[in-house]
Amino acid sequence: MTFAGHLAPAALYRLMAWLSPAFPTGGFSYSHGLEYAVEAGLVADRDQALAWIDGILRHGAGRSDTQLFALTWRAADANDVDALLDIAELASALRGTAELALESHAQGAAFLAAVARAWPSLRLSGWTGAMATRAIAPSLPVGVALAAAAHGMPLVPALAAFTQAFAANLVSAAVRLVPLGQSDGLAVLAALEPAVQATVSSALAIDPDDLGAAAPVVDWCSMRHETQYTRLFRS
Amino acid sequence: MTLWDGGGDGSAIAESTKGARRLASSASDPTASAAVPARAMPVDGRLLLRVARRDGADRLGDLYMHDPLRVLFPRPAAGDPMQAVLATTSGGLVGGDRLTLDIAVGESAALQLVGQAAEKVYRSPGADTEVTMRLDAGRGALLELLPQGTILFDGARLRRSVAVEAADGARVLVGEMLTFGRIAAGERMRGGLLRDRWQVRRAGRLLWADALALEGDIAAAIDAPSVFGGAATLGTVVHLGPDAGRSLELARALLDRDASGVRSGASLVEGVLVARFLSADGAALRAAFGAFWRAFRAGACGLPERLPTIWHV
Repeated sequence: MTFAGHLAPAALYRLMAWLSPAFPTGGFSYSHGLEYAVEAGLVADRDQALAWIDGILRHGAGRSDTQLFALTWRAADANDVDALLDIAELASALRGTAELALESHAQGAAFLAAVARAWPSLRLSGWTGAMATRAIAPSLPVGVALAAAAHGMPLVPALAAFTQAFAANLVSAAVRLVPLGQSDGLAVLAALEPAVQATVSSALAIDPDDLGAAAPVVDWCSMRHETQYTRLFRS
Repeated sequence: MTLWDGGGDGSAIAESTKGARRLASSASDPTASAAVPARAMPVDGRLLLRVARRDGADRLGDLYMHDPLRVLFPRPAAGDPMQAVLATTSGGLVGGDRLTLDIAVGESAALQLVGQAAEKVYRSPGADTEVTMRLDAGRGALLELLPQGTILFDGARLRRSVAVEAADGARVLVGEMLTFGRIAAGERMRGGLLRDRWQVRRAGRLLWADALALEGDIAAAIDAPSVFGGAATLGTVVHLGPDAGRSLELARALLDRDASGVRSGASLVEGVLVARFLSADGAALRAAFGAFWRAFRAGACGLPERLPTIWHV
C-alpha cells in the first residue's frame, strides 16, 4: 500500500463521494460549539469566523482528529487489529463533552453504515465488527480512516480530503449561523487553506506520545450549548 | 491495554522505569538558570499509598515514599475522610525530574488527597519533566483529589499522565488547575511543552479521555479566541459516581450561580461529569473553582461543605 502515492481514478471517485457534503453523515447538523459562540457574541463577522475555525484546525479537534486519522490508517493498513482497537477506543473517549461525543460518534456510525451499504468490503466489516465486539463507538476520523485503508486509498490524499471536509463543514455552519454571505464563506474557506495544510503535515508526523489538542473554549461553548434555549444544531 | 504508557494494566511505579524521553538537549539557554533551583541531579520521586477499610475504620495499608515526594496525614475535620497532604520537598520541578504516584483506595474506604501548595514547573533547556499518577478506587470507595494547581513557568516542559481506575460503585472526584506562565508577575508562556493526558476507566472500560497538548508559542494559543480565548488558567473537575445524572443537574445549578465572570460549564460524557473553568485571572479562577468544589462535594458526595485548612493557607 502506498503512503503518499498515486490516487487511482476509482479511489478518487470514492473519496470525493464519501467526503462530499451530500454524503449521509448528517454533518450539516453539527456546529462544534459554534452555535453558542455566535449566541455569546464571540463570532460575529467573517474575520472572527476565520480566526475561530483556524484555531480549531491548528489546536483543537482539527489537530487531534487528523492525528487519530493518521494513526488509525497506519494500523489498519498494517492490519494490526490490536493497535487499531486501542486507537479507536481512545478516539472514541477523547471527546470533551456529551455533544462533541455525539457529533463524532453519530457521524462515524452513519458514515460507516453508508459506506458498508454502497461499497461493501470484507476488510472494513472485519474491523468494524472487532470494534463492535469491544463496544467501541466509531468516531468520525476512525470511520473515514478505516474505509480509506480498506479501499486502498493512500494516507496523504485521504487525510487531506478529510481535513478539508472538516474545515468546510465548520465554514458551512458559520455561513448559516453568523450569518455570512456565500462569497464571504468561500473567502474563509480559501483563507483556511494554510491551516489545513499545516494540520495535515503535522498529523503525518505524529508520535502517539504527542497526541492531543487544546481548545478548552470549544469545550466550554459546547457545554453551554447543551442548555442553550434556541438551537438549530445538535452540537 | 492502552496506546499510552502509564494507564491500563500494571502499576504506574513499574511503568515509570521506561522514561525513554529523558535525554537532555545539548542546546542551552542563557536565561534558563535564572528561575531554576540549583540541583546536581534530577529527582525521581515515588509515592505508593494504599488505604483499606478494616474493622470498620479506614487504615493505611502500604506507604512508600521516595524523595522529593512526601505525604502527611493531618487529623481530618469531623465528617471528613482520612486526609493525605502531598508535598514535593524539592521546591518545584525541573527538566528531567520524574514523579510517579500510585494511590489506591480499597473497597468501601475513603480518602481525601490535597496538595500542600501549587506545584511549580520551571523552565527547561531541553529535558521533559514527567509526572505519572494512577488513582485506583475500589467498589464503594471514595477518592477525592483536590488540586492546589500547577504553574508552568515560561519554557517549562511537562509530560503528565493521570489514569483513574474506578470499580463499579466507586466514587471519584479529581481536579486540576493549570496556569500558563507566572501570570501574577506578568509572565507569559512563550515557549515550552505540555502533554497532559487523563484517562478515566470504570471496571476496565475507558469512559473518557483528555489529551491537552501545547508547544511552541503557547501565549499565541492562549490568545486565540477558540483555543483559550485569553484565559491563561484552566480548571478541570472530573467526577465519576453511581448517580451521574443527578451530578450534572447539581453542577449546572452551581455554575449558574457563579457571577465571577469566570467561563465555566459542565457536561456528562459516558457517565463522567466534566466541569471546566477558564479565566485570565488566577485568583478569580481559584475562588470559583473552590466554591464549586465545596458545594459539589457536599451535594454529590455527601461530604461536609468545606475545603481543608491547607487550601486556605
